[in-house]
Amino acid sequence: MMRLLLFAVAILIGVFLAGGVDQRATPLKIDLPPETTAFKPAPGAELVNGQCLVCHSVEYVSSQPPMPRPFWSAAVKKMVDKYGANVPPDQIDPIVDYLYHNYGDAPPPTTAPAAPAPAAPSTDPVQLGTKYGCLACHNPTMKIIGPALREVARKYQADPEAAQKIAHQIRHGGSGQWGSIIMPPFPQISDGEIQTLTDWILRQK
Amino acid sequence: MFPYRPRRLTVGRMSKAHPGAAAGFSRRRFLQTATLAGAGALLARNGGLARAAETVTLPFANGRRELVRFPQKRPLILLTARPPQLETPFAVFNEGLLTPNDAFFVRYHLAHIPTEIDPQTFRLQIRGQVNHPLTLSLTDLRTQFEPVEIVAVNQCSGNSRGFFQPRVGGGQLGNGAMGNARWKGVRLQAVLAKAGIAAGARQVVFNGLDQSVLEKTPDFLKALDVDQARDEDVLLAYEMNGADLPMLNGYPLRLVVPGHYGTYWVKHLHQITVVDETFKTFWMNPAYLIPDNDGACVPPGTTPTRTRPIGRFNVRSFITSLAEADVVRTGHPITVRGIAFDGGHGIQEILFSEDDGHSWRAAELGKDLGKYSFREWTIPFTPRRTGAFALRVKATNRIGESQPLEPLWNPAGYMRNVVETVHIQAA
Repeated sequence: MMRLLLFAVAILIGVFLAGGVDQRATPLKIDLPPETTAFKPAPGAELVNGQCLVCHSVEYVSSQPPMPRPFWSAAVKKMVDKYGANVPPDQIDPIVDYLYHNYGDAPPPTTAPAAPAPAAPSTDPVQLGTKYGCLACHNPTMKIIGPALREVARKYQADPEAAQKIAHQIRHGGSGQWGSIIMPPFPQISDGEIQTLTDWILRQK
Repeated sequence: MFPYRPRRLTVGRMSKAHPGAAAGFSRRRFLQTATLAGAGALLARNGGLARAAETVTLPFANGRRELVRFPQKRPLILLTARPPQLETPFAVFNEGLLTPNDAFFVRYHLAHIPTEIDPQTFRLQIRGQVNHPLTLSLTDLRTQFEPVEIVAVNQCSGNSRGFFQPRVGGGQLGNGAMGNARWKGVRLQAVLAKAGIAAGARQVVFNGLDQSVLEKTPDFLKALDVDQARDEDVLLAYEMNGADLPMLNGYPLRLVVPGHYGTYWVKHLHQITVVDETFKTFWMNPAYLIPDNDGACVPPGTTPTRTRPIGRFNVRSFITSLAEADVVRTGHPITVRGIAFDGGHGIQEILFSEDDGHSWRAAELGKDLGKYSFREWTIPFTPRRTGAFALRVKATNRIGESQPLEPLWNPAGYMRNVVETVHIQAA
């Protein structure tokens, strides 16, 4: 009886190996190539990096034809009205200015426009998180688009290289750690500011 | 640990300008005149290796694009990285009537796209105004319904938008946001019949697994009228050219609406909802609306007063064997080849002009793969003098619809179908 059972099992395994394996039954997983492009460095870039890149990569802007200011104004309005972009009213004009001067038919500005003058490097992490748009996707305690900062801190609690890894993620972006949404790179954030942010993230336990 | 792989997109890139690049000529010329198949294959292989670092320049302002390799794809023209939008290099359309899966264009709207799907646990739900809501696995679809194959073109509504004059906003595509494939799946009609459409149902709404990043961004939902959804040619396709759908083309199941623009071909389709109203969603209205007139057009720079949702393809035709600024040998006979397609009536006639539309000759139609497929055409052509030739091609379908000699315009940049012109030189 036992022998018969073993025989049956062997046959079943044989059938399975010989062609019973349905290739279609294997999960399909892909890794998307990471983005490495950011907006042109110019006054206002931190605003578009923080806002536009939440939902889409730079080419949505950079591949458009050189268009006049009303085109860019309408585009930003559409992002807010139709797609629900969370752009504070006082950022709309600076964003339109940036897009028009860097991707529109305007000559590049010879002097910096009304955009905020480069202030002394901030050491306030919340201010930095707002400035660079980190907080649009990351909340200290709740998952929104990206993971909660508290979860990030917990994940790297025992990792001696935690600070370097988080700094690398901020600088270069990437995906796959927490889900499929890709975090854009933030090459424009200075080393000092990244350190401020990283220290702050690791304190969120 | 971190999945960062530097991709050097901005250094050491070869430019392969489309029109007029001297290097482009000689290589292309060589390809055309090479008689040894081996020589051609070698060149293609070397080209393939170098391509990952190449760019192409589409022939309109700001048309420079990177060629980037995405999963399951050969290097394609990168329109946007996130969400992925990839255009097929036009030379692919001269390789055969079916567009290979790894060269087929990609278009998403929302950035939260699925990157891992288990076909064992994937389920399609049919619900709403039906008598028997269904939940079907892929095996159910393959075993409970008759498999059907159909060759059909999929084309983005905004294919060729970059050529609009005046320019309009949106995906700045050349002519490569189209492709022709043999789709295999089951009839939507059969699945709806099994669920039983309730009396009073008006539309069928389709939802895929792709999602928006922000909660406030409208999910990508598309609707067809019940009668259209019950058309026997509308499929739920699980295969494309004899293989599983690539992830970026909608694995494991997509809607195939032959003859209709790609916006309806919902990818990663997992929910079908029958509703008793004209479904209101951003992606049906105001998105994807066209001027409500025969040419779907308005005077350039103006706004239409009446609109309707985009629907069937208009008639298009292309020369594929010669590209802009190619050089051919004077007095040497060649065969010009191309493709044509329409919204599902089938191509009746192809006219070819070698003198910029002053005189026309009928081309020979190739094998008929079905009324929704690319139709191949060929015509002999001998440039009898040196100098410039403007080659034009114009198709007419079986109900007499054709292509305008001058481009029509609409503010969204949809449905371009002007009679195309390729400028070449005989030397």
